[in-house]
Amino acid sequence: MENLLEIKNLHARIGDKEILKGINLTIKPGEVHTIMGRNGSGKSTLSAILAGNSNYTVTQGSITYQGRDLLKMSPEERSWAGIFLGFQYPVEIPGVTNVNFMRTAVNEHRKQKGLPPLSAAEYLKLMREKMAYVEMDPSFSSRGVNVGFSGGEKKRNEVFQMAMLSPLLAILDETDSGLDVDALRIVANGVNRLKTKDNAFVVITHYQRLLDYIVPDVVHVLYKGRIVKTAGKELAAEVEAHGYDEFE
Amino acid sequence: MEEFRYIPKSELFKCSVDLPGARKFFVWDGVPDGLPLKEAPALDVSASFEVSSRMERMVYPVSLEDVPQKAVEIIPEEGTLTQVISVRVSPSLVFGRVRIVCQKPGNYAVVLCSHTTGQERFSTREIVEVSVSGGARLDLVAMQNENSLSAHKSDFRLKIEEDSSLKMNIITLHAGNVSNRIHSLLSGKKAECWLNGLYLEDGEQIIDTDVTLVHNAPECLSRQLFKGILSGHSRSRFTGEVVVSPAGQKTEAYQANNNLLVSDDARASSDPHLVIYADDVKCSHGSTAGSVGDQELFYMRSRGISESEARILQQQAFAAAVLEQVSREELRERLSCLVERRLRGENTVCAACGRGCC
Ligand SMILES: Nc1ncnc2c1ncn2[C@@H]1O[C@H](COP(=O)(O)OP(=O)(O)OP(=O)(O)O)[C@@H](O)[C@H]1O
Ligand SMILES: [Mg+2]
Repeated sequence: MENLLEIKNLHARIGDKEILKGINLTIKPGEVHTIMGRNGSGKSTLSAILAGNSNYTVTQGSITYQGRDLLKMSPEERSWAGIFLGFQYPVEIPGVTNVNFMRTAVNEHRKQKGLPPLSAAEYLKLMREKMAYVEMDPSFSSRGVNVGFSGGEKKRNEVFQMAMLSPLLAILDETDSGLDVDALRIVANGVNRLKTKDNAFVVITHYQRLLDYIVPDVVHVLYKGRIVKTAGKELAAEVEAHGYDEFE
Repeated sequence: MEEFRYIPKSELFKCSVDLPGARKFFVWDGVPDGLPLKEAPALDVSASFEVSSRMERMVYPVSLEDVPQKAVEIIPEEGTLTQVISVRVSPSLVFGRVRIVCQKPGNYAVVLCSHTTGQERFSTREIVEVSVSGGARLDLVAMQNENSLSAHKSDFRLKIEEDSSLKMNIITLHAGNVSNRIHSLLSGKKAECWLNGLYLEDGEQIIDTDVTLVHNAPECLSRQLFKGILSGHSRSRFTGEVVVSPAGQKTEAYQANNNLLVSDDARASSDPHLVIYADDVKCSHGSTAGSVGDQELFYMRSRGISESEARILQQQAFAAAVLEQVSREELRERLSCLVERRLRGENTVCAACGRGCC
């Protein structure tokens, strides 16, 4: 089957600090990949580069997404093409309500597909349906985007947004951090409901417990800007038992 | 009411926002169309008081210009929206005077729309006097939407007496060089004054706002919120002074001026300050000038919101705090829509008419 994403020898830096030092990663439709790695190893850097954050400079290598040169695409073009990043630290946007934010996003996506914008009633119906995926209270929709949301509520809001945009490649950067046990299950079930044979997920996590709900096809260990080990689900348990010392 | 049914002779007055049920007044170069100018003494907004600790007599304002003897007089009706459509035809209006008086308990609403009739240079000098007393609550919206060559200097003189309330929103959608000078006197117990302003500037526009607000009675409340969105080479200058006299015990006074600088070349200066001669008061003031946050922008773009749309969302959010203060729903919606179109760089001409009034 054709690759959805192909990262080859990716090097990237912020300022003059090199963070990614030759990443290779291939993802096919229908796959779930997990990335684990020490704090500061470069997981969020990789996510940010995939989403198009211009604070990072790619110095070498390539990223091909659906046969296109991803690095040439703007963040919004990547979103329209089906890439979604669940932020490790979701951003607060005071004054822009959740409902305005998401309706604008959904309608921009529709515009790209040549579809007319959703009416207010159609939008509300879709929104209620997807909020139910993550058991989010509809009252959140009238609040400023992530403003005053608790850590766990912000993460749920990320999964809600993902459900609204039905991405082809979703990167979830520590979406499980800060969630209580019930929220973890709810969020994981939300992800599982969105899974199809055509889309793929990259789940970044520090904990094996998430993988009890979302079963990965492969687990990668990122160490100092390189993927140093790739194996099946059992690698997660191994990392949790022994830490990262063996990769020194 | 006579003027309600009055149909103006000139085609130029045809432009009006369709505000259903509004009573309309038409003013032609400072002169009412179909009604006489009224002779009236100037509204006294001065206050003077002893400050014992300083052995001094303070007078606010220090000086006020004389006003023309005659004015366009507006006596709003309880519960009905009054719209004053003021058209400028000759290029220079030296002194227009509008007087709004509410004296009885109840809710009143007035919208002042001033507009020019062409693209040449217009210069306007006007005084708007507002007197609210007898338990009246007045909502006043002043719309400013003129071409970029125009110069508009307005003096707002406001007097709010016991148990009465004034909420004024100045919305400057577009203009060349605007100076809004506001002098407000809270002269009776439990009087309230809300002053809100929103100014959208681009190109070489300059907007000056100068507020003096005097609390000269106990238990009064004042809240000021002025917000500007500045792009191009535009400039905004804000000076605000809140004075609490020794009579102003249990005063609550807030003043804020926040500017969003959308371009690198826009500049905002802000000087809010408080002068307090009473001891039992709650007052605060502040100002900020910020630019659009990069993180917010990236977050929105990562959801497929294009950069230009994301900037408009942020600017609308910034403006919302002022627009929310307009109590009449039909007016608030109308203004929000005009602001959005203005932020999108579209003409702020309403669909129903051919000219850029409000
Ligand atoms: N703006 C910056 N300036 C300097 N260094 C930075 C900057 N942003 C990130 N870094 C550094 O890049 C490295 C990788 O950071 P990154 O956020 O990708 O790590 P991570 O693997 O996601 O860690 P965590 O598990 O803690 O989330 C870190 O050492 C971090 O300090
Ligand atoms: Mg991280």
